[in-house]
Amino acid sequence: MCVVEIDGCPKLELACATAVKDGMDVRTGTDRGCEARRVVLEFLLAEHPLDCPVCDKAGECRLQDYYQDHGLFASRFNEAKTKRAKLVPIGKSLLLDRERCILCTRCVRFLEDITRTHELGVFERGNRSEVGTREDREVATNYAGNLVDLCPVGAITDREFRFSTRAWFLKRSASFCPLCGRGCEIWIDQHPGFARTVRSKRIYRVRPKENPRRNGPWMCAAGRRGFAVLDSHRIDQIFRIKDGRRTILTWDKGLHWAALKLEELSAKGHSGRIAVVLNSFLSNEELFLARRLFRDSLHVGSLAFLDPEPGIPDGFLLTSQRSSNRRGARELGFDPAPPDWDRIAETAELLLLFAHPLLDAAAKGPIEKAWNRVRTRILVTPRESGLEAGADVILPSALPAEKPGSWTNIDGSSSAFESALESPGEALAEWRILTGLARELRIDGMAGLESIGRVREDCLRMHPFFKVT
Amino acid sequence: MTVKDGARFAIEVLRGGLITARHFAVNMARHSLRAIGIRTRRTGAVTIQYPEARKQVPSRHRSLHRLLTRPDGRPRCVACMLCLTVCPSECISVEADEDPDPEIQKTPIRFEIDLSRCCFCGFCVEACPEDAIRMDTGILEWGRLGRDDLRIEIWPGPGPGRKI
Repeated sequence: MCVVEIDGCPKLELACATAVKDGMDVRTGTDRGCEARRVVLEFLLAEHPLDCPVCDKAGECRLQDYYQDHGLFASRFNEAKTKRAKLVPIGKSLLLDRERCILCTRCVRFLEDITRTHELGVFERGNRSEVGTREDREVATNYAGNLVDLCPVGAITDREFRFSTRAWFLKRSASFCPLCGRGCEIWIDQHPGFARTVRSKRIYRVRPKENPRRNGPWMCAAGRRGFAVLDSHRIDQIFRIKDGRRTILTWDKGLHWAALKLEELSAKGHSGRIAVVLNSFLSNEELFLARRLFRDSLHVGSLAFLDPEPGIPDGFLLTSQRSSNRRGARELGFDPAPPDWDRIAETAELLLLFAHPLLDAAAKGPIEKAWNRVRTRILVTPRESGLEAGADVILPSALPAEKPGSWTNIDGSSSAFESALESPGEALAEWRILTGLARELRIDGMAGLESIGRVREDCLRMHPFFKVT
Repeated sequence: MTVKDGARFAIEVLRGGLITARHFAVNMARHSLRAIGIRTRRTGAVTIQYPEARKQVPSRHRSLHRLLTRPDGRPRCVACMLCLTVCPSECISVEADEDPDPEIQKTPIRFEIDLSRCCFCGFCVEACPEDAIRMDTGILEWGRLGRDDLRIEIWPGPGPGRKI
């Protein structure tokens, strides 16, 4: 499909397999080239089923695009099309449709050149050739999801996304994956929805967004599946819990209450009894604000980072660090070390915990002990973390994809993103919570930091490291 | 109001009454002549005694939607969602699932139409590649008391509380 005319070459050349040379004169849109592409396309379509109405790829299919560009011919193929297997499970929730496959072997080459796991191959010859797994082994790589993206037709589909909606309904917005230190850039595909129609899902799929300096065009399965987890069990209201009874507050009242408690201690000179626990899912701007507020203005006693436990890296994209911004925290002068829960339990009177979105009951043993010992407990969390029952005030916060900001990945490259999703209900981004607290506490040095643009400006002036390149 | 205005008012009321009386007289005369077997060039005006008597709906009318079925009773619809795409009032919602038959591949498990939004344009019928949806049920009386009752499920079918 990629034949072009090159001056000095008598035949049409394959663009994808010809090395570029100095002074080369390449023509892509000549009549000869277009005619050749049209003929190749006719052969491809001769064996391609008319599945478009039920095919998940329709709307973003390369074959459809080429037909629009070159084809628009009526079929001259009188013979019956060959029937092939339509639902072949090839592993990792992937399904292969051999009728739709055009044998471009992109999937085979991806598993050979990129992941080097060699699970797929082309078997048989000529008209009978078909893609299949070797000796019934399954595609088990962590990067299997990329096969769906790189398949130019709808031959490989993902069980999770399959039939959930059509490609043209989805609206994509750029964001990044916060689940490891790589910070792969992604597209989040949402359905804007129809009036009065309840959508079963908010995020339909997550696809990699090409960034040659970070993730290339790939991303791992953890990132693809992780978003559904992040977006479940959200907290969307401000709660005050007194004697086990929950009352719903407004943001003004919630922030006022939290600020009052902070002020009570700092005014008496007991700032040392305030413990603040941050997490490195926060953006550079938020960490910058937190440093100004808690370290430079309130001089809190302990400032630590609660992050998910490091995992096993897979040697390609997934890093052992399982949060997004530890590098940024270090550059801002924080030591992103886990909190010393015993010390907090003994000395702290107020604990302000910015829970990370993956915090759950399974990993909270020592946290809970300290949590129950401290007198005033303020919980800022995007999701149910299992600590809600013990909190005095719960402030709902946003996921990284729901707020504007910049994050610095493990290699030290920063990228800025706008908010890709809306926060549910009353949930507010942490930078708004931090500026709100600063406003309530009337901190001089932080007046005027009301918009994310101003915060970013200030942060960049003091830390040119975070410049987005 | 002056006396002059009052007189004008009375004249107009009288004129209106006379028009009504004229229609009555003309139609009465035509019906009476017809009753004794004399045909006039124009027939008298007719009022249908709805709902006891109903007018014949033309064959190309558009009424409440229905999904056509295959011989085995399952819907012809393959949930391609082209009707959703073309619908100008965004009133259709379809949930799709895997069909047990790999040749059919896709099947709707719920097909809902929000009649409070539907404008009966018939675009869904035109867009359907499977000739699965038609608007020829002849059901024109689907008024409901609540808006939510107007969201009707046409597949798997009018369930409890959703009778059409």
